[in-house]
Amino acid sequence: MTRYLLRRIVETLAVLLLLSACVYAVFYVLPGDPARLICGKICLPDQLTAIHQKLGLDQPLWEQYLHFLQGLVAGRDYSSGPSVNHCPAPCLGYSFQTDQPVTGLLLDRLPVSLSLTLGAAVLWLVIGVGTGLVSGLRPGSLADRALTAVALAGTATPVFVLGLVLLLVFCVYLAWLPFPGYVPLTEDPVAWAQNLLLPWLTLALTTAVVYSRLTRTTLLEILAEDHIRTLRAYGVPERRIIGRHALRGTLTPIITLFGLHVGTVLGSTVLTESLFGLPGLGKLLIDAVNTIDVPVVVGATLLSGFAIVVGNTLADLLYHFADPRVHLT
Amino acid sequence: MRTSHKVLTALVPLAALLAACGHNTQDAQGAKNSTAAFDPATCQGGTLRVLNQGDLTHYDPARLYTSGGGKIPTLLFRTLTTRNRVPGPDSTKVVPDLATDVGTPSDDAKTWTYHLKDGLKFEDGTPITSADIKYGIERSFAPELPGGAPYLRDWLKDAQNYGGPYKDGELSSIETPDDKTIIFKLRKPEGEFPYLATATQFAPVPKAKDTGVDYEKHPISSGPYKVESFDQSKHLVLVRNDNWSRQIDDQRLACPDRIEVTAGLDPAVVNQRLATGAGDDANAATTDVNLGPAELARLGSDPQLAAHVAHTHFGDTTYLAFNPKVKPFDDIKVREAISYAVNRQTVINAVGGSQLADPATTFLPDQAVFGYQPYDHFPAGPTGDPAKAKELLAQAGYPNGLTITLTHSTAQSGHGPGVATAIQDALKQAGITVNLEPLDPDSFDAKVNTPATEPGLSIDGWGADWPSGNPFLAPIFDGRQIIKSGGNFNLAQYDNPEVNDEIDAINKLTDPAAAAKRWGALDEKIGKEALTVPLYHSKDLLLFGKNVKNAWVSDWNGLYDLSVMSVK
Repeated sequence: MTRYLLRRIVETLAVLLLLSACVYAVFYVLPGDPARLICGKICLPDQLTAIHQKLGLDQPLWEQYLHFLQGLVAGRDYSSGPSVNHCPAPCLGYSFQTDQPVTGLLLDRLPVSLSLTLGAAVLWLVIGVGTGLVSGLRPGSLADRALTAVALAGTATPVFVLGLVLLLVFCVYLAWLPFPGYVPLTEDPVAWAQNLLLPWLTLALTTAVVYSRLTRTTLLEILAEDHIRTLRAYGVPERRIIGRHALRGTLTPIITLFGLHVGTVLGSTVLTESLFGLPGLGKLLIDAVNTIDVPVVVGATLLSGFAIVVGNTLADLLYHFADPRVHLT
Repeated sequence: MRTSHKVLTALVPLAALLAACGHNTQDAQGAKNSTAAFDPATCQGGTLRVLNQGDLTHYDPARLYTSGGGKIPTLLFRTLTTRNRVPGPDSTKVVPDLATDVGTPSDDAKTWTYHLKDGLKFEDGTPITSADIKYGIERSFAPELPGGAPYLRDWLKDAQNYGGPYKDGELSSIETPDDKTIIFKLRKPEGEFPYLATATQFAPVPKAKDTGVDYEKHPISSGPYKVESFDQSKHLVLVRNDNWSRQIDDQRLACPDRIEVTAGLDPAVVNQRLATGAGDDANAATTDVNLGPAELARLGSDPQLAAHVAHTHFGDTTYLAFNPKVKPFDDIKVREAISYAVNRQTVINAVGGSQLADPATTFLPDQAVFGYQPYDHFPAGPTGDPAKAKELLAQAGYPNGLTITLTHSTAQSGHGPGVATAIQDALKQAGITVNLEPLDPDSFDAKVNTPATEPGLSIDGWGADWPSGNPFLAPIFDGRQIIKSGGNFNLAQYDNPEVNDEIDAINKLTDPAAAAKRWGALDEKIGKEALTVPLYHSKDLLLFGKNVKNAWVSDWNGLYDLSVMSVK
């Protein structure tokens, strides 16, 4: 187990290092000059040069990347004008556009993304697995067909449309909920949940179908397997067959998918975030890409990448507990 | 999903652009309705909410690029002069703010002297001195604090290579003989200096409180409000500054007790919230979200909605830019032919219809303050004159038509693919085959604004930094403003000594009316050379909440002024 975890950690670090190098390389090749965007509508050549120097963009790419790695290990110093700001290790650098330390920006946005993703994840798991089980236990029934149709409609509707419709219905016509904004959990848990309800629903409804379909098919497959037939032949009560044996087997692929999914969704809910005015990681990343804010792009990508790797590792661990035949090596 | 995402990414730079520029005209109906019950004496109280799509970046007076002091910044930063806060054409006038007058020129408008009013204080109660204004300007030169307009660097004596107070100490061309007097020494005559002095760079900054890049976290207010909390990209909460009063500021009314700005909202949601006006949203307004297609469609049939829309008219022009250094655009006949061939109606339809744009035949926006003189040198009518265009092409040696390339940005803005396609279709009627070269906004800027790589024909736009002909014409047609290294806006790479001399001569004028007349005449004269094809002047429509009063639009920047609005 310890060896397994150690190996995973080393692998994770290697993946993240590669990821950061790739992002640097991509932005170096892409056209556009972040200094130009910082400089204002009319920009004199000397000002542009000064900004290049300030951002370190006058150095060759490999040197910029080396400084980045140095910052990760030892921290970096930045001139604020009258004084020098120290960015302690692990320093992901300063944003080109907002002059804020990237670590601060990420930590600022992380609670928003976590709130959105984890809440939605619980919902889509409950909705997806729930409907999947109902469908799978009574294949071909009216409930199965109705749920399948609803689930498909949910996925087929783009986040933007579903979100706007929910907003119109619940905030405009029924006026049951306020227009969402982000309220930190620590400030007011009730307002937090109230404000996040619609974003959660939007995200969950567009995602749940995958779980619903997966649960249904896996359950049907397992129910048709030999060991279930044997149990039935022994006269084991159906409730027990399903609860003890079939469900457990159904869970394994769902865990794998869920681990991957949560990690991926964490950094990629930009549409939901923009629609509901939630300043999360996705919006940070897309804004940074638009303004060629390389340090923020690198930071946000690393964090998203980290989340995916961690999600995967957790899924593997859970997999092991759900199905002891799986060994962690 | 993909489409929404594209729109979203396109809106972000657009918002930034709108924030940098200003806007114009006013809504007669909306103004009437909202001013009827408005009384400045009893307007105080309540919370005004601002729902915006753009992020709240850099609330540092050195780094803001504003017109007339900006919308939200003007609540925090008083400047030497400011825009006149009255509805109607008088709103384009410069009036004193911290200073006692708009400035006294001497030495052919190469020296400008200002005196400060009595009793001016920062939010912490310390008196505002001329040294604080000098320091505020100096720090805008620091490479750590970029973003402001470059006029000061160009205009002030010995400022071209000045690196800001952190590195280079004081700037010698700004003198402060006493606490109340500040003198600016300029390199050349600049009659429009009072307009420039409305920019936030002219706001006082106390040296002792300067924290460089961190200053924006809590800039020291000289205006009616101060920062209570600032959460970048989410919320800005402003509360009353007790050291400000109407006795020392005759421009801002500062009606609400509190102003809460929420940023980063989806434009469709902002409009929905303002139109619905439920709860606190009735006390809300936006400074950067235009009406969407849904609201535009409802406008005609919904008087309730129409009463809460401010019609604004930004002093800007979208145009086709020729680079006469590239064949066949070196031939004026070809440029004229294209001027005749354009169909302004389809172009305007492409940007949302006649509610959002007016056809343009002049380069200057169609407002008197810019010096607008109507002219139409190549009368093409609303839908173009392909026959005349063909005739001119034949004269130029292209009797069988020709093939050209039109470079445009892929941003879903007024200069994007929609307009490009409309131009392509119109020119086809005249026998001109147009190949489109779409570029993402960054590549577009890099290619078009660098003289060496500039294509022969591109779609561009220009907006003024203050309501006058100078910031509209000089960057585009002054031959000395061709910037070889990039960031060039003189796209015709036009260097005519006669025009340059006339620009210098007008800059010596300190009477805006006299200057306006000559800017208009200059525009008319340059227009004959067909260096651009003006396409349209854009208009904006902005919603405000049901309880919001006194939401008239300034002709200066075309936006309603938060400093005079009320929610009571």
